[in-house]
Amino acid sequence: MAKIEQTDSFEDKLKNIEQEDIKKASSVFHEKLNSDWAAHLNSCVHCGLCAETCHYYLADRDIKSLPVYKLNLVNQVFKKYFTFAGKKAPGWIGARELDKQMVQEWVDSLFGRCSLCGRCFLNCTMGINIPYLIRTARGVLSAVGLVPPGLQSTVDTAIRTGNNMGISKQDWLETIEWLEEELQAEVNDHKARLPLDKKGAKLLYTINPREAMFFPLSISAVGKIFYATGEDWTFSSEYFDVTNYGLYNGDDEAAGRMSGRLVQAMEKLGCQTLVLAECGHGFNSNRWEAPEWLKKKYEFEVKSILQIVSDYIREGRIQLDPSRNKKKVTLHDPCNLVRLGGVIEEQRYIVRNSVSNFIEMTPNREKNYCCGGGGGQLAMTRFAERRLKAGKIKADQIKNTGAEVVVTPCHNCIDQLMELNKHYKLGVEIKTVCEIVADALIINKK
Amino acid sequence: MKEIEVKGKKIALNDEGFLEHPEEWDEEVAKALAQVEEGIEFLTDEHWAVINYIRNHYMEKKLAPMVRKICKSTGFQLKHIFELFPSGPAKGACKVAGLPKPDGCV
Repeated sequence: MAKIEQTDSFEDKLKNIEQEDIKKASSVFHEKLNSDWAAHLNSCVHCGLCAETCHYYLADRDIKSLPVYKLNLVNQVFKKYFTFAGKKAPGWIGARELDKQMVQEWVDSLFGRCSLCGRCFLNCTMGINIPYLIRTARGVLSAVGLVPPGLQSTVDTAIRTGNNMGISKQDWLETIEWLEEELQAEVNDHKARLPLDKKGAKLLYTINPREAMFFPLSISAVGKIFYATGEDWTFSSEYFDVTNYGLYNGDDEAAGRMSGRLVQAMEKLGCQTLVLAECGHGFNSNRWEAPEWLKKKYEFEVKSILQIVSDYIREGRIQLDPSRNKKKVTLHDPCNLVRLGGVIEEQRYIVRNSVSNFIEMTPNREKNYCCGGGGGQLAMTRFAERRLKAGKIKADQIKNTGAEVVVTPCHNCIDQLMELNKHYKLGVEIKTVCEIVADALIINKK
Repeated sequence: MKEIEVKGKKIALNDEGFLEHPEEWDEEVAKALAQVEEGIEFLTDEHWAVINYIRNHYMEKKLAPMVRKICKSTGFQLKHIFELFPSGPAKGACKVAGLPKPDGCV
């Protein structure tokens, strides 16, 4: 029931935005802009090269889906409030007020037609960081309570409970205990552990809450890999959530609180390396953005689990038998991990060592298309139909490889790929990278 | 906005096929959701064991249960839950049990 009321109140607010909120929005916008971002906003030469880079535009050919159109929505407001000509003669330079209509357009285009994937940014003639500017504008909407419900409730749940699915501490501990028993049975060793709160452990591992809640095979897979290497690692009983939907609703304060919890867990347990699960936006948030949100340098190292596992293979700490994965496998590159995160070759190295028949999709690496589920899209039901439509290009990429299995190091991508699989009848299996490693893993009897 | 018709009554679904009003759920609605959303023509006793556990947990706590609890209470292996509901516990089983869409990456 709570959700319905929330949806209704959002619709009401969207229809009746108050003058007071407009004032607040404009002042928040001002606070968020510095000279760098103003320069970015002033730099678009309207070349239109971004059009063909965007999976939304490629899917619907709607002018509102053009990256330049979306950027211009932000730019028009910038001109109105922060330029001389815009203040004096807005009509002349296409400046627009952030009025009711504009707010509605912002919500529709900046939340509903963008997954913050950064493909337009990569291809922009002027190098304009379009996703960053769109995120900034989302932050303005966030400050006046105009984030679409499913996205905002995911942030709220994380802030309220410590993780984005509201998993209680008891449920978390019982799930780990259960998975530990399963691991012991699988490797036939009653000493196999999924350690909790082990002080001074080398690695602190985190998860996406959906793993514990609904899809625990990926936790088991990582547990098995750590077991095979004899790694010194631990979970935290308090803070285990790698996600940070503050990256998507643009609320820097909330984003800082979420990432700050992982810093607290690291400090409390005295671990050396914070290891981020297979989660694109969680990696981007906690590896790159969080020190900015927290205004604080990390005192520890932060790595993706992919960097850890690829080192294990390189150093011979695990043995893999690729013949155990005989099906044809392709790899999907999550935008936040690859294009925006810089982890590009590790997953390829891992997959090539774990399967006997690997094929790249085209394009790939930093040029890859978004699956369509990023940017908080999976959480915003009101845009679900567009999300599935915008995922067609990804579905086609997968089909063209002829692969039977799609591997991707991101749980958010996995969920969208599961939907594309159903909607476009792809008939593929979808797995995390560590799951495919675990399938190929040779366990030496101890 | 989507809808399904159950015994002449129109039931509203959100754009992802979850019930717009979870209180409208009953066994007939579950059967219709299973057919339309999951492609399951006939709900077996095993399906019902999962659905009823999830539904009761939701009625009591207003939350979806952890998959561990679903496995423990029904005695099914995780793999079997996915066999019963191909879209998985969230977009398969919880949807058929009439829960609202969970928060997070689902």
